[in-house]
Amino acid sequence: MMEYEELIINMGPQHPSTHGVLYLELKLDGEVVLDCRPNIGYLHRSIEKIAENRSFVQFMPFTDRLDYLASMNNNLGLCLTVEKLMNIAVSPRAQYLRVIIAELNRIASHLFAVSTFAQDLGAFATPLFYALRDREKIIQIFDHICGQRLTYNYMRVGGVSGDLPAGVDALIKEYIPYQRKMLDEFETLLTGNVIFCARSKNIGVLSKETAIKYGVTGPNLRASGYKWDLRKDEPYLVYDKFDFDIPTGENGDSWDRYIVRIREIRESLKIIEQALGGLPEGDPVAKVNKVFRPNGETYMCTENPRGELGFYIVGDGNIFPYRLKIRAPSFSNLSVLSAMVKGLNISDTVCALGSLDIVMGEIDR
Amino acid sequence: MIAHYLPYLKLLLKGVCVLSFIAVSAMFLIWLERKVSAKVQNRLGPMITGPHGSLQSIADTVKLLLKENIVPSGADRLTWWLAPFFVTVPPVTAFLCMPFGPTFIVRDLNVGILFICSITSICVLGIFMAGWGSNNKYSLLGGMRSAAQIISYEVPLLLSALVVIMEAGTLSMQGIVHAQEPCWFFLKPNLFVAFVIYLISATAEVNRVPFDIPEAESELVAGYHTEYSGMKFAMFFVAEYTNLFIISAVAASLFLGGWLGPIRPSAGWFLLKAYVVIAFLMWIRWTLPRVRMDQMMSFAWKVLTPVALLNVLVTGWLLVAKG
Amino acid sequence: MFKMITYVFSGLLSILKGLGITWNNMFRKAVTLQYPLQKPVMTERFRGLVDLIPEKCIACSQCVKICPTAALDLTSAVNPETKKKSPCTFVFNGELCCFCGLCQEVCPTSAIFLNNIYEAAYYKHEDMLKIDLLKVDKYAHLAPKKACPCSKTSETRK
Repeated sequence: MMEYEELIINMGPQHPSTHGVLYLELKLDGEVVLDCRPNIGYLHRSIEKIAENRSFVQFMPFTDRLDYLASMNNNLGLCLTVEKLMNIAVSPRAQYLRVIIAELNRIASHLFAVSTFAQDLGAFATPLFYALRDREKIIQIFDHICGQRLTYNYMRVGGVSGDLPAGVDALIKEYIPYQRKMLDEFETLLTGNVIFCARSKNIGVLSKETAIKYGVTGPNLRASGYKWDLRKDEPYLVYDKFDFDIPTGENGDSWDRYIVRIREIRESLKIIEQALGGLPEGDPVAKVNKVFRPNGETYMCTENPRGELGFYIVGDGNIFPYRLKIRAPSFSNLSVLSAMVKGLNISDTVCALGSLDIVMGEIDR
Repeated sequence: MIAHYLPYLKLLLKGVCVLSFIAVSAMFLIWLERKVSAKVQNRLGPMITGPHGSLQSIADTVKLLLKENIVPSGADRLTWWLAPFFVTVPPVTAFLCMPFGPTFIVRDLNVGILFICSITSICVLGIFMAGWGSNNKYSLLGGMRSAAQIISYEVPLLLSALVVIMEAGTLSMQGIVHAQEPCWFFLKPNLFVAFVIYLISATAEVNRVPFDIPEAESELVAGYHTEYSGMKFAMFFVAEYTNLFIISAVAASLFLGGWLGPIRPSAGWFLLKAYVVIAFLMWIRWTLPRVRMDQMMSFAWKVLTPVALLNVLVTGWLLVAKG
Repeated sequence: MFKMITYVFSGLLSILKGLGITWNNMFRKAVTLQYPLQKPVMTERFRGLVDLIPEKCIACSQCVKICPTAALDLTSAVNPETKKKSPCTFVFNGELCCFCGLCQEVCPTSAIFLNNIYEAAYYKHEDMLKIDLLKVDKYAHLAPKKACPCSKTSETRK
């Protein structure tokens, strides 16, 4: 009688495909994963506690550091929550600008997500470089708009920090057809590729029920076939004025999660086109040193590239919030991983993890 | 007296030539790979060291020579030390019967192709030793994957070489090249199939994308050479690129007419053909994702091996029909 | 059997398509910069290191108050002749700064601003902790040219 011993592998926190500092404790039988336990906390900066000692304007740069691939969307989430709490009206131009910026950042984030997913599947660096080349255009636009390339700190409670500089709307208009062309190219390289399909189809299947049970949101939930997008279902800003579709997948496998993101990029391009066309005149700039003394509590969620980003703010009449809770989408999305990968092998674990598109910045906070 | 030692001196000289060729070729190939990848990815690649970064590999070699040699604690010392040699020596030995020109060959063994195929398979031993000796779980997995992969791709590789042997009627590398004087082998349909099978299985033999499963960066960090540093790592690297050159050179001699060409020098033609194959493999590497272990195995046993066997059958039938 | 054959051939075709894409890309111009040799032109709103025009500063301390990471430290004195407040010391902690640009936004006289220096490397740790903003040549070693937000163009690629 032979004796079996399980092989325990500590994947991470330093590993090429754990997207930052995630630590997966894998229990293996040969190469088959018996158990997977994600350990988090390597990037903890106690952002929620910091929020209790900062005014909302001061806290804005910290939201950049949550999901650092979609900083604009995080800024937007906090702004909308405070505006809801304080009943602040925002000028239409600022609302349109916010939509354009948020959708641009969604594209940048999704480009990064699909290309790092391809990287995890071993398409070494080439799709990543193509996506980064296109993302660079968005980063350039943001650099013109707010002066930073990653941590934007652009939105303000009541508006934005600066109007579009001259010439930037032309840059965006130039960018839309360019990205459409490049996305077609990217899809030719990957979407139909036989190896790519064989690696990602029917791998890491996430059923609709499991996804809902674990609180999975965003493209991951939509890939499982559940049509839920806060931009459509609980419209905020001016999203109800635009015509766009919510792409959904069928099987909820890794390939579906990939293709949903690709299709969302196309939808976002559509939204940007419409918003640029209908951009109203006005002054979108909000005064920065306005003091807010919120009383009461509120929760507001927005559709981040990774899912539902919620801010729950309790105010006690002070300029600092009494409590600020962040509902990070990646956190729920990661929690489903161990249910997904049981019985797969190491290569597929990496594939499933890559397709979930997590960002450790907002998981550990 | 001198005349007595002359053959040995000549052999020594040839050995030195081969070794220096391998070193230079590996460095050149590393530079080429970096340049091709840069081109594919809209980058520039190394540009600072020398014109277009051509001296970059030399700088890297110097760096690797100066680096500390770290032995992981709990490593199986003997296997750990020996593994790089087991990986490096076989590809060097394979140059013994590499036909660079009509007379430009170290020894034209009459079992040439068999010798090359068998000696390069020893590499897998070194890789497995590296995986075992490192006392690292990733390395161990990489070593096991490599053993499974190389053994299964040996079969279609040899079967496709068998077709060439049947066509040429000889095992000697020079003989095979001479047999292609009327028509390069890959222009014949059955041999073209063999050529494709050879390329696929040779790519798997040298662990290149899409079959880089033993060193799968995103899964196993660096596979069997995760723990190696300094010159030992460099030896793995040199072996990898020498192997790449060998499979391309063998492909050139078996299917693309070897050193045959309209004008002299014949060695130039040989190198040109080999480098065309290498460039093609590099182009593939920077395009495709990696296949999974079980997919790769089923591809080898369910697709490549039956097709290669069928090809052998068809070739035999054609030869018999021709008389 | 037939399904298998079509799968293999369509697979080969998809691989060839992918190879075509990478082939086309080989002849595109490189999009990267040779960084230390070529440098990107910073945008007009670029937020680099915190800089100060000392004459303009009225020592109102608004920047100090709004700074989310407490990177600024200011002491001031009132000039008995002109009855005007002016800074005595103005120390910037380059290590704490998160380049959010709030100080620049809040400044009533546009005295404090974020310049376009992005190569903020110092040889000594202590040098970075206490950057005297009142000194004129505080960033002289970082930028050979005088630091100013200079270019409006999007031509950051040569």
